[in-house]
Amino acid sequence: MSTSIILEFLRQGWLALAGALLAFSLLAGMAQMLSISSAGVTGANAWVWQSVSALISLLILTLFAFLGIPQIVQALQSSLPGGAGCGPISVLGQYASDLIGGLAAVRMLKATFVSVLSASIGGTSTFSQALIECGEAIFGMLIAAAAIPLAAWFLGTC
Amino acid sequence: MFDPIMEQILAIARDAWAFLAGLLIVVALLGGLYYVLQGTAGAAFGGSRMTSMAIIGAVGLVILVLFAFLFLPQIGEMLKDFQPNPPF
Repeated sequence: MSTSIILEFLRQGWLALAGALLAFSLLAGMAQMLSISSAGVTGANAWVWQSVSALISLLILTLFAFLGIPQIVQALQSSLPGGAGCGPISVLGQYASDLIGGLAAVRMLKATFVSVLSASIGGTSTFSQALIECGEAIFGMLIAAAAIPLAAWFLGTC
Repeated sequence: MFDPIMEQILAIARDAWAFLAGLLIVVALLGGLYYVLQGTAGAAFGGSRMTSMAIIGAVGLVILVLFAFLFLPQIGEMLKDFQPNPPF
């Protein structure tokens, strides 16, 4: 019961983050276009190419968030052994697997959102930081995949 | 659950979009005026290269503004179609 409430909360958070990511990436794109046009008028070639590359990186970040992250999460969730053992440990394992997947998905989307936000206010696009956070989330899910069967074995369930 | 917050964020984002679009028009108009001045000066002093550069600059500026106003909304529509449901 409480797990489904938490998962529903995470789902709502995911949808809100995805919407905000789209809005901010479009705004950032518009800001970069403004930068390109003003730099073009003043003849600042380096600034133009900097803005063009920022525009492309924004597009790549958004595509990664919308197309890459759901695939990564689904692939990892299918690898999580949610139903290891039997009895209460099986139910707990299923809950843990769902929660870990949801948390990792929202965390990865949050990292990409922060990256887009950073690019939209003219900072450096911290794509590497987003990838590091994604890697940490994936690593956590992999550890959980090993921990759940070990816990079932340790507790001596079937 | 997050709908009221999202509505606030989207309202601010819409205002920011309108502001940026207006600013882009102002910058493009100023840039266009600058290129017209450059082209006129080039034509008056017999600087054909200066005039042709001004014409190219003005055309490039128009292309940039058209790109911003036509291409970016289409990109937004495309990304909106890609917006994923929660994968968990």
